[in-house]
Amino acid sequence: MVSGESATGTAGRAGSAASFEGLLTPLLDAAYGTALRLTRNAADAEDLVQEAAYHAYRGFGSFEPGTNFKAWFFRILTNAFYSKYRKRKREGTQVDLDDTPELYLYCQTQAAGLHSRSEDPATALMDQLDQDAVARAIDSLPEEYRVVATLYFMQDYQYQEIADILSVPVGTVRSRLHRGRRLLQKALWTIAEERGIIARMAAGPERGGVENG
Amino acid sequence: MADLDRFTCEEVFRRLDDYLDRELSTEEMRLVREHIATCAACAAEHRFEQRVLEDVKDKLRRIAMPAGLLDKVHAAILRAQAEAPP
Repeated sequence: MVSGESATGTAGRAGSAASFEGLLTPLLDAAYGTALRLTRNAADAEDLVQEAAYHAYRGFGSFEPGTNFKAWFFRILTNAFYSKYRKRKREGTQVDLDDTPELYLYCQTQAAGLHSRSEDPATALMDQLDQDAVARAIDSLPEEYRVVATLYFMQDYQYQEIADILSVPVGTVRSRLHRGRRLLQKALWTIAEERGIIARMAAGPERGGVENG
Repeated sequence: MADLDRFTCEEVFRRLDDYLDRELSTEEMRLVREHIATCAACAAEHRFEQRVLEDVKDKLRRIAMPAGLLDKVHAAILRAQAEAPP
């Protein structure tokens, strides 16, 4: 009897681990990408994903089959991030938001004369900013904005889903996300300026101008 | 008195982020959409913001996990299993 129960238990555990891994494995690229933006460091990101997997498996009994496993796992991932990294640096996030108006990139590109040089100035600018530039811009955001922006940009979550993952009110998600985007646009602009992208683009021909040769 | 069945540029501007994320009510989504369809200035702002958002999403999502992480995750699960069987 004892050995029979033990065999059943072992099989049950193995089955549980297999079904857990079956749910988790397809999410790992997104989990790693998210962890990388949260921790801003490849080694820490790998550690964070492993730690989240560890905690998630231990708590797998509380996961209700049929509900959103991805949102459940990302809640564990962000909690693991907060408990591991937040206490390390409780940086007072003083951000001068009034300094960053709405439509920041739109206004800056317009002021730089880029709207008269391209029918699609947003694409013209973003084509010049590679993956690394975009990652650096996100990484420059203060933590509270970076966490919300990362969940938003990495997944197609609605505000309510992000609020559920972070256990904060949906209004907090909305305001952090909107402000986070303004800060992100400012960071993208700064990187574009530093890399000489704006100067090069502004030196280009105007739209409708006669091309030479 | 504002026309209740039509948004001004200012009203659209204040809702642009939520509109881009489809976080408005069905009615507000419609009012913004209708305004953008007939206002070149707001349409240009909307198109610009949408392109930036799409591009940032696309670039951030191109990241793949490093080789070896799958095995490490598997090991973490085995460790959890050994320490506290469910």
